[in-house]
Amino acid sequence: MGRLTDRYCIVGVGETEYSQASGRTTRAMAVEAVKRAMDDAGLNASDVDGMMSYHGGDSTTSTTVVSDLGIRLNFYMDCSGGGSSTEALIGLAIGAIEVGMCHTVAIFRSMNGYTQVRIGGTGARARAPITEAGVMTRPYGYMSAAQNFAFSFMRHMYEFGTKPSQVAMVKVVGSKHASNNPKAFMKKRMTVEDVLNSRWIVKPVHLLDCCLETDNATCVIVTSAERARSLKQRPVHILGVAGRVCKPRIEVHYQFGPITRVAGYHAKDIVFPMAGVTHEDIDVTSCYDAFTWTTLLQLEDYGWCKKGEGGDYVSSGIIALGGKRPNNTSGSHLCEAYTHGMNMVIENVRQLRGTVDDYCPNWQKGQHTYDYSEGHCRQVKDAEIAMSMGWGTPALGSALIMRR
Amino acid sequence: MPMSFEYRGMLINLPDFDRERKEYFEHAAQKKLVVQKCKGCALLRWDPGPACPWCQSLEWTWQQVSGKGTIYSYEIVTHAIQPGFRDWVPYPVALVELDEQRGKPSPDEGVRLITNVVDENFNPEKEENVGIGKRVEVVFLPVAEGVFLPQFKLSKEQPTERVWQFQNV
Repeated sequence: MGRLTDRYCIVGVGETEYSQASGRTTRAMAVEAVKRAMDDAGLNASDVDGMMSYHGGDSTTSTTVVSDLGIRLNFYMDCSGGGSSTEALIGLAIGAIEVGMCHTVAIFRSMNGYTQVRIGGTGARARAPITEAGVMTRPYGYMSAAQNFAFSFMRHMYEFGTKPSQVAMVKVVGSKHASNNPKAFMKKRMTVEDVLNSRWIVKPVHLLDCCLETDNATCVIVTSAERARSLKQRPVHILGVAGRVCKPRIEVHYQFGPITRVAGYHAKDIVFPMAGVTHEDIDVTSCYDAFTWTTLLQLEDYGWCKKGEGGDYVSSGIIALGGKRPNNTSGSHLCEAYTHGMNMVIENVRQLRGTVDDYCPNWQKGQHTYDYSEGHCRQVKDAEIAMSMGWGTPALGSALIMRR
Repeated sequence: MPMSFEYRGMLINLPDFDRERKEYFEHAAQKKLVVQKCKGCALLRWDPGPACPWCQSLEWTWQQVSGKGTIYSYEIVTHAIQPGFRDWVPYPVALVELDEQRGKPSPDEGVRLITNVVDENFNPEKEENVGIGKRVEVVFLPVAEGVFLPQFKLSKEQPTERVWQFQNV
């Protein structure tokens, strides 16, 4: 194992309901998610002294949340960012604890991603006057995440012969997992035909290739392994982290080829050596699914299969529950909720604890049936090591490896 | 004078201090497509900015380019995000690689611009005519008094490499 072994842990996780009608402020949701994570860990207000958050559009501040919850901070940091921030902030929290700035850090993301600032880009953002970098792109009707990322996948199909029916399997598998997740916003099992027949957003992207837009807040709490030992849950140890690793010329990454290569190509060289594990050691993964093919591109560049073979890989059964290495077992962004990455980490923490909240009658005691048919189990048996692969853009990624 | 104009209901502002982008559009107003050329290493670059990403020189000049290129990747927007584009769907957006600097400074690099592919009347080119590998050339769409937006249309030149089009299978 690597240099972080047994030093830092995630001790609490929490989230609000995943919905498209929160009817609440991002402040109220953030407070609930942080409180739930504290309760999960068995931490009181006086036990938390650090807070971090990220935002793109709507959120609330750490200072608001701690004022509401009566927490006195020794450190806080709110920064801009979307996907790939969760893992990066976990790394920064370790750094803050390591140098003695604080000892226990709650990290949250709160967003009304459907009712307030729609993640797909429609609404107020699409009507704002155009300045700065947008002057070179928005007059061409090129603005949303789907529009910004699609060139990479189109080029992947051109270079490697990848088919939409192959990449649709990422949604099919995600929906299978979500059907065993009571929290998931979209629990219906989907077929390849469902994806290919769903309406177009921007060709090559169908509606069902896109993640959900939801209202929710999420939180994870990081502390030292020493403190973790006296808390409520089985500690989940952090082995390796790579935060906001970039491709060259990130803002115009399509100038620098191959444009089918994503930032995970570089992040893997940081996170695996730090963790001191190999791909074969990892039992369960989560891989950012802003779109079906963001998962496919990342799985290739992190080295789970050869470049260009992602279509076969995601269709092989390996990434499904019951397969060799299940991926996105909660249904993730495509089916559970869109959280800018944090629900992927929360799910992996629960997998490693052995207490995934599925439909098994005694899941809270860690008793699972391992029956992955619809409406039953989603616990991976004996999961010891998990990896999350966060995505911000094709040119921006983060990663996190944890063990139980 | 700052440039400010409306296009498809969107207000586009180019203040004087946004020097590089404003000059790009001032050249477009004379129906010239320009990119920056580094005075240190002579490489061309897009989009407009203050430094050379290869040699870090802050010295540059404008270089007019032929406006000819090849579609490197593309997409067809069918669900408009910006309200002003709702009556324009389906429309292609393309990543066009200019002829001037293909495969430089490394084999996978080139000068690539984001653009629409339009027909002779500046309407969106039909999807069946757009594909990776197709040859294109610049045209200038009049959008306001003294303001032109660089766009690309299909060229009459034969493709020199494999042409590929998306299929929903």
